[in-house]
Amino acid sequence: MDPQNLEYINQLLDKDVELREKIKDQVTEFDKKTRTLTGLLNKIHSTPPSQVPELVATVTPVLQSCKETTAALAELTPPNQFWRWKDMWSVSLRNAVFSAAFVEYLRSGGLLSLPRAAETLGIKDEWQDRFTLSAEDYLHALITMVNELSRLAVNSVTMGDFEQPLKISTFVKDLFAGFAMLNLKNDALRRRYDSLKYDIKKIEEVVYDVSLRKLAPVQTDNT
Amino acid sequence: MSVVLSSRDSILEVFDHFRDELDDFHDRRERLIKCSRDVTNLSKKVIFLIHRSLTEGLGQSDERETSLRAVSRAKEKLKDVQNLFAGMREEVAGDRFWRHQRNVSPGLQEYIEALSLAHYLECQTLISYEEVQKSLSDADGTPYFPLPLDDYLLGLSDLTGELMRYAISSISRRGGRSKANEVCIFVRGCRADFEGLTPHFRELRKKQQVTSQSLEKIEDVAYAIAVRSSEYDLPPELLDDIVERTVAEAGFGGGGDDRDQRRRGGRRGGEDEDEDGNYD
Repeated sequence: MDPQNLEYINQLLDKDVELREKIKDQVTEFDKKTRTLTGLLNKIHSTPPSQVPELVATVTPVLQSCKETTAALAELTPPNQFWRWKDMWSVSLRNAVFSAAFVEYLRSGGLLSLPRAAETLGIKDEWQDRFTLSAEDYLHALITMVNELSRLAVNSVTMGDFEQPLKISTFVKDLFAGFAMLNLKNDALRRRYDSLKYDIKKIEEVVYDVSLRKLAPVQTDNT
Repeated sequence: MSVVLSSRDSILEVFDHFRDELDDFHDRRERLIKCSRDVTNLSKKVIFLIHRSLTEGLGQSDERETSLRAVSRAKEKLKDVQNLFAGMREEVAGDRFWRHQRNVSPGLQEYIEALSLAHYLECQTLISYEEVQKSLSDADGTPYFPLPLDDYLLGLSDLTGELMRYAISSISRRGGRSKANEVCIFVRGCRADFEGLTPHFRELRKKQQVTSQSLEKIEDVAYAIAVRSSEYDLPPELLDDIVERTVAEAGFGGGGDDRDQRRRGGRRGGEDEDEDGNYD
């Protein structure tokens, strides 16, 4: 190989290596934050309904702090190379989106939309080709949320909250109907989608137990 | 823009949008995988064409002329491949290229292998990164897509196998022994150059082993020649006859088996998965 070419290749290589290191540092930071988030949110399983707003309030600043990380990653990624590097942070990003969506459910009982989730994490539209929230990552995060909600259905009954499982049931069924509309290929998303039915089954059992014993308040139309 | 979706209808509406987006992605992926396969097929044909053209000229015209004829035929065919890449341009525009890079890369590597073989026969050098990128650019020099470094190196790594075939099948020809030596030195150089880059590319490590095997095969043949020629103090023309016999005895004549071995050894893993289109 002629020396000039070899040198050029090494240059390209060094640049990639350097960039990878920098991204890795940011991802480590991101990971720390998302771990804190999931740690805090895990408390929901032992938090009575009256104290939920307080818990949500402790989570919000950590979510806010993710904005710095997303900005740093967007800054690092060269134009048009989002898909080249995104695998490095997609686990962290999915966890962050999960936290944001879960918090939204706890706050309003509704689904956090993708654009709103991106906004919560400070992801800007103009970063489109460098850092964006893809549909795939968002959907993964929603599945994580459903997994978590099925636990919450069980645990809220333990805490004496009989209304929560009914709310969760309606919400999750709506989400499931949404997922059923997708033409999924044989990939990770598909496998996780397939696992949703077990969460639904679990939630349904709780609803069944609660209604059978007439513990739940009479269900009115959900809004 | 709805902020929080609280009814089933609003949820279904956004999923409707996700469906379109995912379908769009999967369809494009399928198209690119097909296209990549076409590229692979055409490139393989170019490689065979080159080998055929090289053996065709046996004994008639001089070595250089035969090579150049093979090169000009190959270049003609390579244009078709380049047109396929040009056709992909829209599909991989902007940030889409890196999303689909893995779908495109098997074809790209095969193309680089064919291109670099033609280039070697023409210039006796390894084609540079910039030259490959240039071949994948339009008339104004704007690339159809960025050339990934790993595809470039992995394509080149496959070249050594083709050179081995070339060296061994030309050895029975007049002047073939010096040709084989030339190739031997060149492949040795390639192997040394790639060695320094292997820590960065997992795939390249596997291919280095195949390169080593190819190199060994050429060296064995070179050894056979050296041993025989030391026994006789004969002019090169007579030696050519002797070598012809040696090669026939050693069973190195065809080279077809060697190619199969290389495929089995070198391509297991990555590419096959990609070609089946279910790597994820």
